[in-house]
Amino acid sequence: MKSNADDPKLVSARHKDVFEDILEERRTSSDLRFAARARDVPRFRLNKERPPHKIKEDVLKSDRVQYAIEQVCQDTGLPKAEVINQAKTIVDEMAHNLRTGAIRVFAFFLMKVLKQLYQRIYVNEEGIEKVRMLIQDYPILLMPTHRSYMDFLLMSYVFYHYDLPLPVIAAAMDFMGMKFFGWLLRNSGAFYIRRSFGEDTLYWAVFTEYVQTQICNGDSPIEFYVEGTRSRTSKSYAPKFGMLSAALEPYFKAHIPDIMVIPVSISYDRILEESLYAYELLGVPKPKESTSGLIKARKVLEEDFGNVHIFFGEPISIRQFSEGRVDRSKHSLAPRYIVSLTQEEQEMIRVFGHHVVLVHQHNMVISVWSMVAAILVQSQQGVTVRQMLREVEWMKRLASNLGAYIDWPVNESAETMLRASLALHHNIISINNDDVIQLQVAPPIVRGNAVQQHVAVMQTAAQHVMLSMYRNQIIHVFIRPAMIALSINSCRGEELSLDDLYQKYVFLENLLCRDFVFVPDNTRKDFEHTLSTLAHIGALVLEAGAIAVKKSINKTISFLSHMLEPFLIGYWVMCQFLLSSRLQVSAKPLARTQKTLVKEMQALSARLLQEGVIHHYEVLSMDMANNCLHALYHMGGVSKEKRDGVLYMYPNVAQLSTITEQIGKYIDVPPLPAVSIDLHTKTITVNAKL
Amino acid sequence: METRFCLIQNHPLFLKEGKSLLKWNGWGYKDSKFSINKDQHVEFTGERYRLSGSTMPLLREWMKKTVGISLEHKSPSQSCTQDLNLVLENHDDVVKAVELAVKYNVVIIPFGGGTTVTSSLECPAFEKRMIVSLDTSQMNHILWVDEKNLTVRAECGIIGQDLERRLEERGYCTGHEPDSMEFSSLGGWVATRASGMKKNIYGNIEDLLVHVRFVTPRGVMEKSCQVPRMSSGPDIHHIILGSEGTMGVVTEVTLKIRPLPPCKKYGSIVFPSFENGVSCLREVAAQRCAPASIRLMDNEQFQFGAALKPESKSMLTNFMDGLKKFYITKLKGFDPNKLAVATLLFEGTKEEVAALEKRVYEIAAKFGGLPGGADNGERGYMLTFVIAYLRDLGFEYYIVAESFETSVPWDRCLDLCQNVKERLRRECKERRIQFPPYITCRVTQTYDAGACVYFYFGFNYRGISDPVHVYEEIESCARDEILANGGSISHHHGVGKIRKQWLKKTVGELGVGTMKALKAYIDPQNIFANNNLMMGNHSKL
Ligand SMILES: Cc1cc2nc3c(=O)[nH]c(=O)nc-3n(C[C@H](O)[C@H](O)[C@H](O)COP(=O)(O)OP(=O)(O)OC[C@H]3O[C@@H](n4cnc5c(N)ncnc54)[C@H](O)[C@@H]3O)c2cc1C
Repeated sequence: MKSNADDPKLVSARHKDVFEDILEERRTSSDLRFAARARDVPRFRLNKERPPHKIKEDVLKSDRVQYAIEQVCQDTGLPKAEVINQAKTIVDEMAHNLRTGAIRVFAFFLMKVLKQLYQRIYVNEEGIEKVRMLIQDYPILLMPTHRSYMDFLLMSYVFYHYDLPLPVIAAAMDFMGMKFFGWLLRNSGAFYIRRSFGEDTLYWAVFTEYVQTQICNGDSPIEFYVEGTRSRTSKSYAPKFGMLSAALEPYFKAHIPDIMVIPVSISYDRILEESLYAYELLGVPKPKESTSGLIKARKVLEEDFGNVHIFFGEPISIRQFSEGRVDRSKHSLAPRYIVSLTQEEQEMIRVFGHHVVLVHQHNMVISVWSMVAAILVQSQQGVTVRQMLREVEWMKRLASNLGAYIDWPVNESAETMLRASLALHHNIISINNDDVIQLQVAPPIVRGNAVQQHVAVMQTAAQHVMLSMYRNQIIHVFIRPAMIALSINSCRGEELSLDDLYQKYVFLENLLCRDFVFVPDNTRKDFEHTLSTLAHIGALVLEAGAIAVKKSINKTISFLSHMLEPFLIGYWVMCQFLLSSRLQVSAKPLARTQKTLVKEMQALSARLLQEGVIHHYEVLSMDMANNCLHALYHMGGVSKEKRDGVLYMYPNVAQLSTITEQIGKYIDVPPLPAVSIDLHTKTITVNAKL
Repeated sequence: METRFCLIQNHPLFLKEGKSLLKWNGWGYKDSKFSINKDQHVEFTGERYRLSGSTMPLLREWMKKTVGISLEHKSPSQSCTQDLNLVLENHDDVVKAVELAVKYNVVIIPFGGGTTVTSSLECPAFEKRMIVSLDTSQMNHILWVDEKNLTVRAECGIIGQDLERRLEERGYCTGHEPDSMEFSSLGGWVATRASGMKKNIYGNIEDLLVHVRFVTPRGVMEKSCQVPRMSSGPDIHHIILGSEGTMGVVTEVTLKIRPLPPCKKYGSIVFPSFENGVSCLREVAAQRCAPASIRLMDNEQFQFGAALKPESKSMLTNFMDGLKKFYITKLKGFDPNKLAVATLLFEGTKEEVAALEKRVYEIAAKFGGLPGGADNGERGYMLTFVIAYLRDLGFEYYIVAESFETSVPWDRCLDLCQNVKERLRRECKERRIQFPPYITCRVTQTYDAGACVYFYFGFNYRGISDPVHVYEEIESCARDEILANGGSISHHHGVGKIRKQWLKKTVGELGVGTMKALKAYIDPQNIFANNNLMMGNHSKL
């Protein structure tokens, strides 16, 4: 056996705290035997065994689908046989075909890939044992975080490894097109859902029934992502409610006595798609997944992606969660296959979705690298290794105090941890001869045409965006404290009353509500909890019921405040951009589609970066721009209008000016030169004199 | 045996004596009970039932296996308190008594057979006034039988079995047979909206009721004619039916009667699973061809029934039983741990019964059901009579057990059964009850639009300090679950005191308000202050 200390890449052992590495034994034993071995899996007590094709049959025969077929016939006048055929087509397109044979093939390949990609895959076994117990008594919903395609491969592998029934997975259609891979996934339990089918009654009915019948009968654990889609930013996305509602409805309608939800947090040291994401965020279109693309991705296999931590969180009983929130007997007055959820139930689903996301965050394993990233984002000129060691240790304490779980085994020194993480991410940072850790960026193009310059800016930006992605792995720990910190840090007076502080906090929450996940109607509680935590760790000083501002300006507060700076700058640029564009067509503000707005704002930001007016490349992220527009819309700063079926946005000048002014109170905003943009010619004229 | 009944029957004080034949601390006759004999086997004493005098060698094993009873662990017996009685003779007595009660502000609680299972007879602890228990046991006469209109008029205190027996002598029956008919009274049935086993032919009490006299603090409420139906605004009978002693006393009742059926035949059907059984019952109901009674026991109850099998006198019967078991379990692929049994009772002319039998068994076959013989059917019905006794035996051995029932639409019937059982199991687990609880259900009535489901639930409370309280808590969870599953507060037991908390949810704010308004008009002084139903506080609204 290799000694860990000798290998800087292997910073910890097979067993670590609550985690166990499930790859190690696979490295020394036969893959084939592992893939072929007998599996004795626990089953749901009330389950009636049925093969996948029977599930499809049951779906088509169900009251719900029959009812939908009737409706569609009535609405469209199509003959019934044709509508039935449509339903068949839908269910064929959708259904998985989970089979033992395929699972074994799948496990065999997967195992090989995983061993190539990762050093270790850590799983908290206690969580697994709970799942094993619960599977017998409850239908199970697995809700993992979604940061990578690897998520569902890993989940299935873990279930295979622990002799648990393989989950069936709600997958997006993207995969279906891939020949072999699509087939393999379908036979390993993936079922495919169209991304949007809002008004399609028949599709909705088939989908709902397909999900629900499997929940009610407990055929397999059902896995889906509350966040709806892969997070490209490594931040949690706000929960989506379509699938969640469909999954919880059988409980509300009392088809089953309870459902157990297992939130699973999957933390990657290094994300497979990191650079793909970065370009995607910047607006370079993502290559469509295809098998050949996958083969190209073999290059990826030669790289090292460090460890993965998979934490199975405390199971949540839906019955207990909804106790006192919903009254299931309300469904006594109509047949249950007619879709209807009560107001209370929808509200509960909303709260529950957010709750799961917060549980996800709480159970994330935070790497030293994400702390390094958070520090580097704030110090773009670079940080020496010595300084970084100090900063990382300081930040580790702070994050732990705020409840984060840091992946830092007690017996490992800071230096080992740091070096290992720097080695793993050598594509993002480098250490120069002076021992300074810096972001790797291509040298700026001094003499080139506009297009070349643009490409160069985007390449630099991609590095920055990747770095901020890793900072995002830890940002949820700091977000609420940061909102308080920023409010204090930007205060000009001697003291800040708690009421004023709260007002400032509320403004920030409204503004940032798309970039971060806040539980609805929980602002006051969040605020109070965060405030007392900060007071408790000595980060701020309360005197006579107010913040003593001077005494509260310290390293923690200023570090936390700076964490939000890129966001506020980005938002501020967006606001300025929107305000500047109003003068163009007489008095009426110019309406553009959201896409155009984002593109134009990005072009402006790029220009401002080049001019050195702003420094955070992160503001080029279209994700941030979109989030900003959403928030502004909710705050009344912009309005939407549908013309000829196209949605346009335009600023509400008065309200937007107020918001802009307020943002300016939190951060030092740069003097903004007057600009004019012509997107067609990609020219931005900056008029240095105001 | 027979002679004694005849003697007592004509004696006006039957029930006074009858009552002393009853146990004070449990269900039923004193001489009939389950006990453990010297061979450590369970035995049913007395001579009243088909099971009486037999030993049930399988029962002990069953008790040990399913609920963890062991004969070494006997619990101390419980005690109860007794009431003050006002024994009245007839309607006029009742009118006078109520007038006096109004005058002197005395509380009246009408007492019928005392078989209530809703604590409806319990005196409210907070009541400061004097409480009189109005004992109707001597108002037990049949006043007349009208063969032209096929009706009977009787006093409220008459007990079910006496009413039927006396009508039988004249070739009639009401056909109203609640499982408690050995002890429950005519007035009690009206006051609780009772339901009889054979309602498919004869109807429930509300269908049987032609006329009723109701003595209230405001006077006597009754209709002026005895007609089959009338349109005269909201039916006042429906204020009286199910009033649970909160507004007045039912004194005299006219019920429909029917000529005795010439043919009576039991039957049974074995289904591969409970689900199949429910589907079959649903189909039978849909085709409106239900026999007098059709009940479906789940597997747990079937197992219990098997354990109740008396020791057989002849080798041959044992052999035949074995054969049958083989036939069912092996040949037809029935899993003895999954199968469910329906018991049937047919009534009518021979031809009618034969035709109906054929039709029902044909439907059953479509759902994989096989005829299981008349004997098993009869045993099934007997089981319901003796099960109440078993409860008392259980209590001696650390078992607390009760039953509860509900009505539910067909489409939710199976889910309700499953979910309530699951809920009970989980609640037991959460309360750290060491032994697996005994939970079973049966579908006891079928209707066009739904069914009545009856649950038995018991657990071994060794190691639990307050078993009755724990039981009540768990039953309350089960009722929540029932309501969440589209079930009702009660099919026939009523609300009493133990289910008040769900009344408002069931009939709404306005519903409770209306009941309260009626109460306030009819009984402004709250003479009938038993605190049942809509009265008093409704906690947990
Ligand atoms: C083993 C068992 C089996 C049962 N099976 C059935 C069944 O199959 N179907 C069914 O419907 N019920 C059943 N019950 C419940 C019970 O038997 C019924 O509710 C029955 O109708 C009660 O009648 P009772 O005469 O015993 O009334 P009691 O228990 O004496 O009283 C019940 C309520 O009615 C009121 N009341 C009684 N008599 C009068 C009157 N003359 N005027 C006004 N109010 C009055 C009382 O004040 C009380 O509130 C069963 C109970 C047991 C213990």
